[in-house]
Amino acid sequence: MDSTEARLDRIRGKVPPRNHNARTIAALSSNPGCARRAIMDAAGADKQRLAAHAGFPAGFGQSQFAITRGNAFEAQVKANGCAELLRLLRDQLRLPIPEVSYDNLEEVGGDASRELRHARTRHLLMRTAASGRDAGTLFDHPLLRLEVGGRAVYLEPDLIAFRLNGRFHVVEIKSFAVIDGQADGDKVAAAVIQSAVYVLALRQLLAELGIGPDAVADEVILVCPENFANQPTAAALDVRKQLTVLRRQLARLQRVDTLLDLLPAALTFDLDPDPAGTPRRPAADLADAVRAVPARYAPECLASCEMCFFCRDEARGATAALGRAVRDELCGVEHVASVLSLARGADPGPGELAEAAQVLRSAARLRQEGLGEAV
Amino acid sequence: MSTLTSLARALAVERGRAQPLCTVRHLHVSDRPLVVVPLAMAGEANAPLAAMAGDDPRSPALLVVSQPRNRDDRFAFAAELADVIVPYIEGFLGAEEAVPGGPGREPRTRLADAPQLLVPSPAGIAFVRLLGRSTRFRRAEGPYPVPERVPALGRWLTFLAERAEYPGSSLLLAATDALAGHWASGQSPAEDLNLAALAGWIEPPDGLSGWEAAAAAEDPLTWPPAGPATDPTFDNEVLAPLIAAHDQARAAGDIAAMGRVRTRLEQALASQLLPTWRLMWRAVELLRGLPPGGHVGMRWCADKDVFTGYVDYLREGGPPQPRRDTAVAAARRLATLERLLAACSAQRAFDDPLVMAEFRLSGEAMAGPVTAAEPGRQDTSGPRRKLRPHITMETSDPVLLDLGAVLSSPARPRQEARVLSVSAAGAGRTRVVLELAGGMGRGLAAAPGSVPEVGEVVCYATFSDGYQRPPAFPELADTPWTHGGPPPAYVPSDEDAREVWS
Amino acid sequence: MLEKTGSDTVAGMAESIGALEERIELLRAQVRQALVGGNRERASELRRGLREAERAWHDALAALEQEPPEQQRPRDGRLLAGAAEGNARAQAGSAERGLAGPAAPPRLQLPLREQVHQALTLLTVPASPRLISAVHEALFAGAISTARLTSLRRDEERSFLVAPFARPYYLCAALTADLLAPVRGLLAVSTWPMERRVIGPLSPRVDYLTAAIQIAESVQRIPGPGPAAWRLLWRFAVNIPGGSAQAGEVDPATVARAARAEMEIHADADTATRGAAAARARRQLGDPEQLFGSRLRAAPQAGVGA
Repeated sequence: MDSTEARLDRIRGKVPPRNHNARTIAALSSNPGCARRAIMDAAGADKQRLAAHAGFPAGFGQSQFAITRGNAFEAQVKANGCAELLRLLRDQLRLPIPEVSYDNLEEVGGDASRELRHARTRHLLMRTAASGRDAGTLFDHPLLRLEVGGRAVYLEPDLIAFRLNGRFHVVEIKSFAVIDGQADGDKVAAAVIQSAVYVLALRQLLAELGIGPDAVADEVILVCPENFANQPTAAALDVRKQLTVLRRQLARLQRVDTLLDLLPAALTFDLDPDPAGTPRRPAADLADAVRAVPARYAPECLASCEMCFFCRDEARGATAALGRAVRDELCGVEHVASVLSLARGADPGPGELAEAAQVLRSAARLRQEGLGEAV
Repeated sequence: MSTLTSLARALAVERGRAQPLCTVRHLHVSDRPLVVVPLAMAGEANAPLAAMAGDDPRSPALLVVSQPRNRDDRFAFAAELADVIVPYIEGFLGAEEAVPGGPGREPRTRLADAPQLLVPSPAGIAFVRLLGRSTRFRRAEGPYPVPERVPALGRWLTFLAERAEYPGSSLLLAATDALAGHWASGQSPAEDLNLAALAGWIEPPDGLSGWEAAAAAEDPLTWPPAGPATDPTFDNEVLAPLIAAHDQARAAGDIAAMGRVRTRLEQALASQLLPTWRLMWRAVELLRGLPPGGHVGMRWCADKDVFTGYVDYLREGGPPQPRRDTAVAAARRLATLERLLAACSAQRAFDDPLVMAEFRLSGEAMAGPVTAAEPGRQDTSGPRRKLRPHITMETSDPVLLDLGAVLSSPARPRQEARVLSVSAAGAGRTRVVLELAGGMGRGLAAAPGSVPEVGEVVCYATFSDGYQRPPAFPELADTPWTHGGPPPAYVPSDEDAREVWS
Repeated sequence: MLEKTGSDTVAGMAESIGALEERIELLRAQVRQALVGGNRERASELRRGLREAERAWHDALAALEQEPPEQQRPRDGRLLAGAAEGNARAQAGSAERGLAGPAAPPRLQLPLREQVHQALTLLTVPASPRLISAVHEALFAGAISTARLTSLRRDEERSFLVAPFARPYYLCAALTADLLAPVRGLLAVSTWPMERRVIGPLSPRVDYLTAAIQIAESVQRIPGPGPAAWRLLWRFAVNIPGGSAQAGEVDPATVARAARAEMEIHADADTATRGAAAARARRQLGDPEQLFGSRLRAAPQAGVGA
C-alpha cells in the first residue's frame, strides 16, 4: 500500500502542488462535506486548470484594480511606523501609549526566503511572549506556517499586534469601505474567516514553542477605510465560530487517507502535458476520473470553488443544486424527477416519503387549480 | 420561497424553461421608466466607472469616467448622471390629480404620476444608495464646490433607495427581483441574480433550453456581468491598459491622444453595458406582458403619495436625509416595513389565485365548493335583528382553523366570515360552516350575489387585504431616554459637505 | 505605407486601423478565455501579441492625425452625444490642470537629489519616498514623483562605489538595528551620525514624532504656509495623542508639544538600542556597508530601495 503522500502525488500528476493561502484555506470551510474538494485540495491539484480541461472553465480572477487598491490602503495604514494604525488601536482598542515597537518581517537582512522569515517570526514572537516588557508590539508581515492535509503552508497575515489587552491580536487590513457603520456582509464574513486561519496558524506556532492558545485573542482586528475617504477605522471581531469550523475541516483533511481508501488505486488527474504544456489527456477521460470522487455540490460553491461548473452540471436534476432552501421546501426529496413523480401521484411506498408525497401532491393540485394547467 | 414556488422550480428543471409563479403582475411598470445600468470600479468604495441610462430603449446616454480614482472625474460623472436623472424626475412635477376625501380625510391633490427607476439587480440598488450617500451632502459653494444638481441627484437617489426597501413600492426596482418574483427558473435563487441567466430561463433563444441559455449567459465574454461589478478579466485586459493610456496622455497634456483613448474607453464600456441595457428593456416587456393585479394601482398611488410628500419636503427647504436614522425613526420604519410586508402579501394573494394557493397549502386559506347556504338567516338573539347568512363549504385543503376565527374572501373582500364549525367530510375533505356579516346591503335581505350560492367555489383566508392601523410610536420629541432621548434635529454639517470622496 | 501621402493613404490607413481594432478585440477575448481556462502561459503569449497590436494601432492613429484635420468621429445619436459634451469639458479642464501641474517644469528646479536632501534635512530622520515627496510639496517647491525616488538609492550607491566620498553627501540607507541590513523603503543622508540612521523597533515611532516636531516648527517659521503644509501637519496631528485640539483645527505649537510628550516615553529605550547598534555598525562594517547596509548574502540589486 502506498503512503498517503504518494497517492496524493499520483492523483495530482506530474505538476508541482498548488500552494494554499489563507483565502483557499478559508474556502475549505464553505463546503466541508465535499470529498472531491477535500481530495483535490489535499493533493494540491490545479482545480482551475482541471475544470477548464474537463470543459467547465470558471473564472476566479481578481481585478487588478482591487489588488492595487488593497495594497495602497495597506501601505497607507502602515506608513511611518504604522502611525495611522497606532491611532486606531489606541483610540478604539485602548493600546497603551508605550506600545509602539515595530518589527518588519517582510524580509530578513534583504533576504525574503520563507524559511528564514518564518524562523525569525518564531524567534521574535517567542521572545515577545516569554519576556513581556519591551519585546515588541507590532509585527508586520510575519510568516506563519500551518499544516494543511499533511503539508506545511506558509501564511502571511497583514500584521500581528501584541499587548493589545494583554494578548497577540491578528490585524487584517481590508480595503472595502465601512459606510456609516455598515460594510458588505459577504466581504466581512470572508475577512473574518481568513483572519481565523491566521489565528489558528499563530496558535500552532506558539504551541510548538510551548505557549498555550490563550496567548492569542479570539478577536481579530479588522481595519477598513471609513465612508468614502481613505481614513481607516478598526473593529474587533470574534472568530471563535470560524475557528471551530476550520479546525474540523483541517482535521478532515488530515484524515484524507480514509477518503483515499474509497477511491480507485490508479486514480489520477494528470493532464499528460506535452513539452509545450498542452494537455494530451482526453477531456472525457479526465472528467471520468473527476467523477470517481464524489462531490457535494451546492450553489454556494459558485462563489468559492473552481470546479463549480463541472459539479453543477453533474448535479443537474438534484434538488440540492437549486439551493438548500428549495430542497427543504421540497421536503428534502433528493431528485427533481422523484419530486415531480410524487407530486403527480406516484406511490411513495411506506416510510418517510409518505408525508412528503402528501405535501407535494397538495402543492401540485393547488398549482394546477391556480394556474388552470396540469403540473 | 414556498413549496409551491419550489415545485415550480422543479417543473422548470424538467421543462428546461422558467415556469410562471403568478397569474398577474404584482408591481407597477411605468409607461416611461428610466433604466440605469451602472458600473463601478473594483476595489473602490462605489467609484463609478460608467453608466448607461435613459428612458428610451433606442437612445441610451453613455457616461464614462476616464479615471475612476480621480475625484474631479467622479463628480463630473455625478453631474452627467444628474443631467439624465434629475430632469427625468422633475418631469413628473407638473400634472396633479385630485384625491377624493374619505371618512376623516380631507380631499387633496397629489402628483398625477411618479418616476420609476429600473436597475439590473439588488447590487444596482446598493450602488444607487451609495451614490446617493456620497453626493447628497455636497454643496454648490464652499471648499469643494459641485454643480447644484449633484446634491439634488444625491437626495433623489437616497429617496429612491430608501423607498426600494418598502414592500410593494415600485419607484426603484431591480430587474432580477421583478422577474424572479413572477417566474421560477430551473436554477438556484443565487444564480437568479444574474440577469442574463434568469432571462435565458424565461425566454431561451430559439433552439436552446433554459439550461443552455443560462450557461451561455455566464460567459463574461458574450454576456458581460450586469454590474455594478465588472468581469475581472475585462478589468485586467481591457480596462486597465486603457485607463493607464488615458492617464499617460493626460499627464503629457496630449489632448489628441486623450481623445483617442477616450473613444476606445467608451467603446469598451459600451460593449459591457449594451447587452444589459437591451436585457433591461426586454425585462420591461416581459413584465408588461402580464396583466396587473387588482391592488397594483393602489400601491402605486401610495408611491405617488410618498413622492408628492418628498417633493413638498424639498420645496419647503428640507435638509438632505441624515446619515443614520434616529432610534424612533428606525423602530418606526421597521414596524412599517413589517406591516407593509404582511399587507402586500395579503393583497397579492387576493389578486392572484396562484399566490393564494401558497396560503392554502400552509393552512392559512382554503377553497372549495359551497354545499349548503342559508342566505336569509337572521340573528335574533340581540335587541335588533341582523342578517347573518350561513354557508357550508367543503375543501380538500389542509384546514388549520380555530372556531370563531374571522375570515375574508377575495371575491367579497368587504364581507367577514366567522368559522362556526369544522368537521371531516370524508375522502380527506373538510366541511366548514361559516357565518357571514357585512357587504350584503342595508336591508334584512342579502343583495343579489352578495352571498355565495350552492355550487360556487369560494376561497377564504385568515387575513384580509384591508387597511391595518400603524402601531403607535412616540413622536420624535418624546423619544424615551432609554433610546437616547429626543434626538437633535439633523442639520448637515460642513464636514458632511466636505467629506472626502477619494 | 506610412510614407505615402494623400487621401488614398488616409482611407487605406483607416482600413488598417479597422483591421487592427478587430485584431485587438479578438486578442483580448482570447487572453480572457485563456485566463478563465487557467492557462497562464498562453495568456501571456497572447498578451504580447496584443500589446504589439495596440502599439501599432496607436502609431497608425498618431500618423493619421498628422494628416489634415480629422473629421469628427461619428457619434451614434444620443448614445454618445450627452457624454461627449460633458467629456469634452472634462478633458479640456484636466488637460489644463495637467499642463499647469507637476508635468510642466516650474522655473528653477533643483536636481532631484538636492530636493530629496532638502526634505530630509528638514525632517532630520530617515523617511520614505512618499513622506519626502509630501514634505517637499508642502514646504518647498512642488511634489516629487515617488517613482523617480525608487532608483535613487541604487544610483547613489553606484556613484559611491566608483568614487568613495567624492560628493559632499550621499543619499543612503537606514540600517536595521539587529542585522544592519538596509531598511526597505527608507532614505537617509550619509552625513548624519550612525545613531540616526539605524532603526530599532521603537525608532519608526520616534522618527515619526521627530518629523512631526520638525514639520510643526517649520510651518511656524515659514511665512504664509500653503494648504499643502497645513494638510501635512494635520495628518501628523491626528495620529499623535493630544495633537489636534478640535476636528479640522491644527496648531503647530500643540502638535510639537504633543509629539515631545509622547517622545519622552520612548526616547530612552530607543536611544540605547540605536547607540548599541551604531557602535556595532562602526565596528563591523566597512564604509560602503555603513552607508548602504550589509546583506546576508548577495541579494538581487533590484530589491534594494524598492
